[in-house]
Amino acid sequence: MTAKLVVEGLSHHYPDEYTGIDVHALDDINLEVKEGEFVAVVGPSGCGKTTLLNILAGLLPYKVGSAYVDGVKIDGPGPERGVVFQEHAILPWRSVARNIGHGLEIRGVPEAERNSKVSEYINLVGLEGFEDRYPHELSGGMKQRVAVARTLCADPEVMLMDEPFAAVDAQTRITLQEEINRIAITTKKTTMFITHAVDEAAFLGDRCFVMSRRPGKLKAIVDIKIPRERRIWKDMLADEEFIAARDNILRLVREEVTRDDE
Amino acid sequence: MTNNLTENLNRFKAFWRHFSGAEAINNILVVCVILYVWNFVSGVIDNPARYLPAPDVVIFSSFDLFHKGLLPVYFGETMARLVTGSFIGLALGIPFGLALGLNKTVSDIFYPILNFFQSVSGIAIFPIIVIWWGNSEKTVLAIILYTAFFPVAFSVLSGVRTVPMRYVQAAQTLGASHWQIVKDVLIPGAMPHIATGSRLSIGFGWRAVIAGEMLAGRQGMGWMIFTGQDADRTHEVILGMVVIGLTWIVLDRYLLRPFEADTIERWGLVQR
Amino acid sequence: MSALYDLSIAIQTKFGRQNIRAFTLGSIPFVVLLSLWYMNGAFQWLEPIYLPSIGEVIESAWTLQEECGGVGEIVALENSCLLSTHILSSIGRVILAAAIGLPVGIAFGVLAGMNRFVSKLLEPIAIFFNSISGIAWIPLAIVWFGVGWVTTLFIMLNTIIWLMFFNTMLGVRSIPQVLENSVLTMGGSRWDVIKHVYLPGAMPAMITGMRMSMGFGWRALIAAEMIGGDSGLGFMIFSSAEEFKIEEVFLGVIIISVIWMATDRYLLQPLERYTIERWGLVWKPK
Repeated sequence: MTAKLVVEGLSHHYPDEYTGIDVHALDDINLEVKEGEFVAVVGPSGCGKTTLLNILAGLLPYKVGSAYVDGVKIDGPGPERGVVFQEHAILPWRSVARNIGHGLEIRGVPEAERNSKVSEYINLVGLEGFEDRYPHELSGGMKQRVAVARTLCADPEVMLMDEPFAAVDAQTRITLQEEINRIAITTKKTTMFITHAVDEAAFLGDRCFVMSRRPGKLKAIVDIKIPRERRIWKDMLADEEFIAARDNILRLVREEVTRDDE
Repeated sequence: MTNNLTENLNRFKAFWRHFSGAEAINNILVVCVILYVWNFVSGVIDNPARYLPAPDVVIFSSFDLFHKGLLPVYFGETMARLVTGSFIGLALGIPFGLALGLNKTVSDIFYPILNFFQSVSGIAIFPIIVIWWGNSEKTVLAIILYTAFFPVAFSVLSGVRTVPMRYVQAAQTLGASHWQIVKDVLIPGAMPHIATGSRLSIGFGWRAVIAGEMLAGRQGMGWMIFTGQDADRTHEVILGMVVIGLTWIVLDRYLLRPFEADTIERWGLVQR
Repeated sequence: MSALYDLSIAIQTKFGRQNIRAFTLGSIPFVVLLSLWYMNGAFQWLEPIYLPSIGEVIESAWTLQEECGGVGEIVALENSCLLSTHILSSIGRVILAAAIGLPVGIAFGVLAGMNRFVSKLLEPIAIFFNSISGIAWIPLAIVWFGVGWVTTLFIMLNTIIWLMFFNTMLGVRSIPQVLENSVLTMGGSRWDVIKHVYLPGAMPAMITGMRMSMGFGWRALIAAEMIGGDSGLGFMIFSSAEEFKIEEVFLGVIIISVIWMATDRYLLQPLERYTIERWGLVWKPK
């Protein structure tokens, strides 16, 4: 399997907005994501995982190190790297269908083709019947589904998800996590999923990148070899391998959280 | 016995509170009170014809003016100026506000000078325009345009600037070009401000058209009340004032505000 | 060179880098316009009747004050000191109108905010009278008071009172009932409630209303002076226009806008900031 996403020696500093003091967000990150892999990035608050995602999304310029997608250097945002944001960011003035089709519209795909693709993805995320609704009529979970559908419909090479379920209630989150798994089985999209919830990372990821606290380094990589088809919450709660992996990640993260300052 | 009475009274009060026509009836009652007081004052003062003609005199003069076809003409001219001047003012102000909102450097450059010119106000600029273009239609239109330009320009500027960054970023990650971002995100996002600013601009334009007519002596509602005073036809002055007030109420409450509210809601930015 | 560098750092630290940038960028159009204006005077691009030269405008200030006999005559608003008389007349009317109009508007606004019945009576009246913009009142005011300062004062009062009324009333109405109750259950009287709850609580609305009504009032005053006045800045620019003395008109217009900008920037806006932030009623992020 080829390396889809490659990060070498990435470091990032920025001056704090209020104090002007330099913040060392990322320190020498080296990682690789293979094609079709679903990778979770997990770590304590402030460890720089969102910074990492923003750099990979091209929304944050970087100076030290390099990042490549399909061998091409990352330099600004682009449709080959789709992003699902934490606050969904679907446009309030467009209907569900028009939001989902937005990426195709931007590319100039003719309407007929666009409509059929949009229907496909509406079905994929289970929003049949809501095509003409507006975001303010939807619940938080549904809005996130629209966001996911929008990103997938634009058919990016890589999907970046920035804690997309952080603002969603616990029950909906469980449903959405299982849906993401289902979608991952169907689309086999290379995905990087940022989260602070350890069990979410273990549930979704083929591999979990555990980050240290600030300055963010790649602390460990935990493999989870459970096939995606078997990943259903009621089964996973009793699965030994899952429990082991999750506890491992939890221990690693707790280490970072409770570590004394150097 | 008293319990029954208070209960009925409470029932009536509740009914009244929720009766949607109650506000209208209340307003009608207030109007009646005003008319009564007005009539009374007219009756007791010296020389009412000059200082405060009684309501019936004013109403009869309105029939007279209507019959002569003058009132509709004046009204029409004023409205025509308002529409033309506001339209041009909005047509210039909205793109200007957009252009400024898109680029921080551009807005940093032009914001203070715009502020300066806005504070000059259309009224104060009238004497300059009148020296250039005399007491002409062009002058009045220039005043309306000048006054209507600023509120909407500033509103749009602020509206574009306050579109949440994440919508712009979302469009960027879908591969949108700069122009596509403007079209798909910034303009729709600024729509509520465009609507509110337009309403404010038209309001300012309304004030300006009345003043402009008075100052430049161009036929219309403003001119009517001005010449009415000059020719000692106070009843026309009062009639004109009433028409001006009613026109604005209808324009603002039943046209502009609903349109603004509808635009805001349609662009899906209603907070639940 | 090092001294220059130190100076620049000192300036940047004192005023803030962003502020300096904004200030420099913001002055560019002014500099450009002033240069164009100057060059127009020097090269006569437009006829002098359309655009007087800068020198002529400044000179007209002196001409207007020519026959002035000193500070005594300035204060007495003698006709010989034209410019200062006009400026002081206008400003005087503003102060007088504010001193009368603001309290009256606030008083009625508080009453209407407190009492449903009063508001049901006053609100429709206020809406109607406010819709007859201040300027449309001018002819009637001339009928009643003739051409002169009373008319101009009346117009400004009219504008201020209705706007203050509305803003205050809305401000009082928006105060949660529970705050009123808390004072009453501590044994406070109606007057205590007004003093301790309504007035402070409606303060932001009142200050905003004040800023708004001063702005509208100033404009209405100038218009009233133009149409129905015999002194003041509005009267001055209008009569100068009739005599085609465009340099005096320019002078007057510049003075009018400078007065407003200075008042808004150095009096009204700081007042708004200070009152609202001190009352902690609006949190302004840094």
